[in-house]
This record gives sequence, structure tokens and C-alpha cells, in this order.
Amino acid sequence: MTQTSTDPILGWRLWHVRLHAGEHRLESFTMHHVSWPAGARFEARCAVHRDDAPVCDHECGIYAFKTRALAEELLRRYTGVRHRYGREYQELPPVRQGRPIALGSVSLWGRILARERGYRAQYAYPYELFVIGGDEQIARELRARYVVDVSLL
Amino acid sequence: MDIGVPETEHEIEVVPLEEPVPAPAPVEAPADEPVPA
Repeated sequence: MTQTSTDPILGWRLWHVRLHAGEHRLESFTMHHVSWPAGARFEARCAVHRDDAPVCDHECGIYAFKTRALAEELLRRYTGVRHRYGREYQELPPVRQGRPIALGSVSLWGRILARERGYRAQYAYPYELFVIGGDEQIARELRARYVVDVSLL
Repeated sequence: MDIGVPETEHEIEVVPLEEPVPAPAPVEAPADEPVPA
């Protein structure tokens, strides 16, 4: 049975922050060169199901975790920094110089398939961003382009 | 992204009254230059 709601779901995810034609933009964390539009929803597309994504029994859709902690865990796996002096790394790990990453919350709506740790959604737009490995200039650009709160971590 | 096993998946349909996409920030008009009296 499908639940219905008018309230967008807030998830958590990561983006690469990359230069496109001289402008810093959010780019998918797992799909290369897939840029998130500013001022318009990001729509799930699938090579098989086209605009019907996300579809059951497939892996298409826009991904987000249920909690910030799960997104941070992915960042630790991505950077390979999980432990420090034999203990679980508590702070966020450093990212490669000149390769900023955005951690943030994201509004999800449309058709959403929920699992125990996260979602696959049809539509999404960033809600709030935290830039890791960036500077104030990048934060200002993202703030102006996506019209969301952006902080530096 | 490991969001969990597919067997736990269930569907939610979210139809917001208004899409959560912020309107573009208004462009600030340049301040009028002072005109000498």
C-alpha cells in the first residue's frame, strides 16, 4: 500500500562541488558529470525506465540517506579515513585539496521508495549545504546559485 | 549509496502543495549615484 503525503521528505546526501564553465555547481556523488540544476527540481532519469524512475526491483532514482550520520559515514568510506589512532574517527575527514564536497539535507518528493537507511526519489532539491574543503567564495557562489543556506565545515 | 536492502522497500507518494524549490534571489538594483547639486 502506498503512503501519501503533502510534506516533502528531508534526506541527507553528498555532492561533489565542481567547476562547470567557470561556475561551482553541485554534481552527483556517484554519477560523473551529472550536474544538479539551480532553481529547478532535479529529476530522476533511468536508462531503462526513462522518466518512470524510481522503479521497484531496480536501482534507479535520486538517492538520499535518512540521517546525517549515514551521509557522514559514506564520506568516511569515500576518503578512506575511518579510524585515527585506533579509534573511530569522530570529526569529518579531510578531503583532497581542490576537490570540495558538499554534505547536506535535500528535499525529496514525487514517488519515493523508502528502505531502512534511505530513499530513492523521483524529484529533489538541496535544502541546506555544508561545504567541506571549500572556501567562502565557493560557499557564496553556491548560496547565490541554489538559494539555500550554505556553511563551511 | 547503501540505503538498505530492496526487500524492505515501500512506496511513498509525496505531492507537495508547493514544490520546495526556492525562487531566485532578487537582483539588487544598483544604488543611484549621487547627483551633484
